[in-house]
Amino acid sequence: MTLFKSLALPTLFAVALFSATPASAHKVIASAFAEGDLIEGEIGFSNGEMATNQAVEVFAEDGRKLGDTHTDEEGFFTFQPTEQIVHIFRANLGAGHVAEYRMEIDELPDGLAGGQAPASTGAKTVSAPATAVISGSVAPDALKELVAEAVRREVKPLRREIAAYKEKNNLQSILGGIGYIIGIFGLAAYLAARRRQKQSGIAGQAAE
Amino acid sequence: MHIVDGALSNEVVIAGGVLAVGGIALGLRKLDMEKIPVAGVLSATFFVASLISVPVPPTSVHLIMNGLAGIILGWAAFPALFVGLLLQSVFFGFGGLTVLGINTVNIALPAVVAFYLCRSGILTAAPKKAAIWGGIAGALAIALTTGVVAISLTLSGEKFYEAAKLVFLAHIPVMIIEGFVSAAAVYLIRKVKPELFDLHNTVSQGAD
Repeated sequence: MTLFKSLALPTLFAVALFSATPASAHKVIASAFAEGDLIEGEIGFSNGEMATNQAVEVFAEDGRKLGDTHTDEEGFFTFQPTEQIVHIFRANLGAGHVAEYRMEIDELPDGLAGGQAPASTGAKTVSAPATAVISGSVAPDALKELVAEAVRREVKPLRREIAAYKEKNNLQSILGGIGYIIGIFGLAAYLAARRRQKQSGIAGQAAE
Repeated sequence: MHIVDGALSNEVVIAGGVLAVGGIALGLRKLDMEKIPVAGVLSATFFVASLISVPVPPTSVHLIMNGLAGIILGWAAFPALFVGLLLQSVFFGFGGLTVLGINTVNIALPAVVAFYLCRSGILTAAPKKAAIWGGIAGALAIALTTGVVAISLTLSGEKFYEAAKLVFLAHIPVMIIEGFVSAAAVYLIRKVKPELFDLHNTVSQGAD
């Protein structure tokens, strides 16, 4: 009974806290994609705020530094790749927030990716077919550029929404987490109770 | 308050892991059967509290509630907060698995310090006085957490003063909120269920 009593109060408290709207926390989001022969990327927080005027360092897979860039007023940065290797973009936003994005070789701009059809990753899937269709016809390069640009602009908000959606903490995972906690501590209580029972059993035998 | 993967140097991560294992082991020894349900509820409280964010430009901070866990659980706050952190990193991607140790130390150690500093105050006769001590414990635990987070960042290469100032200033609203919440919780516990505090005291005295 005392067990239940001692539970009641903090449970109420936890429920009171829980009933408040779960807002998005300050997780850092970073993404990058090919834009023409440049790599464009964005860095922001999961609550929708962008990291403005933020220094971004670019590394190769082996830790070699490839260059520096920084984000603009909207949290976007561009980088001119020169080598066909994995690029790692890293920004230290201070106070333990580090944004890191790893760009695989097949995500690199077309010129560098060896002219192959890019793999189906991220925004590239949307812009790539459009480019391919145009290049199949006799459209001049300028038109090709324009269409690619337009498609990129159109998918930008969509991409951001997907990034925000990925970061969403839904009710299921919150409840799941609480369920795990109850399970873990329930197991601990079970083990403790069993140990105590054993001890009292031994003590009882000794008394006899 | 959750330091993410890759923000800290390896030495700091390893040292944090070792300290966390020590703290958890000690906490599990102090966690007697009557405390297990309370530890579970406080673990769940911490798990959920971190979803309540307080916007502080340019980012947002969240509640932690380690002070309350500390004054009720003492060393047992280590395993309780560790479980919360583990599930947060798995479910929400807060922090990360490699930095779990250092995050546990950063959040649970201040809780234990608050326990030792404010314990006698909370056990004083008048509930109102106890509530003030509870508030101090709640705010102090956050202040200390910002301090140890700043130290971990410093040991990994950031300038201490800047890191500490940034983290500390951002958490002033959290300190105020948690101070009030902890004070209210202590007042309520003292009025309704004073055994929650006395229980551990008498048991640990008996055990030592």
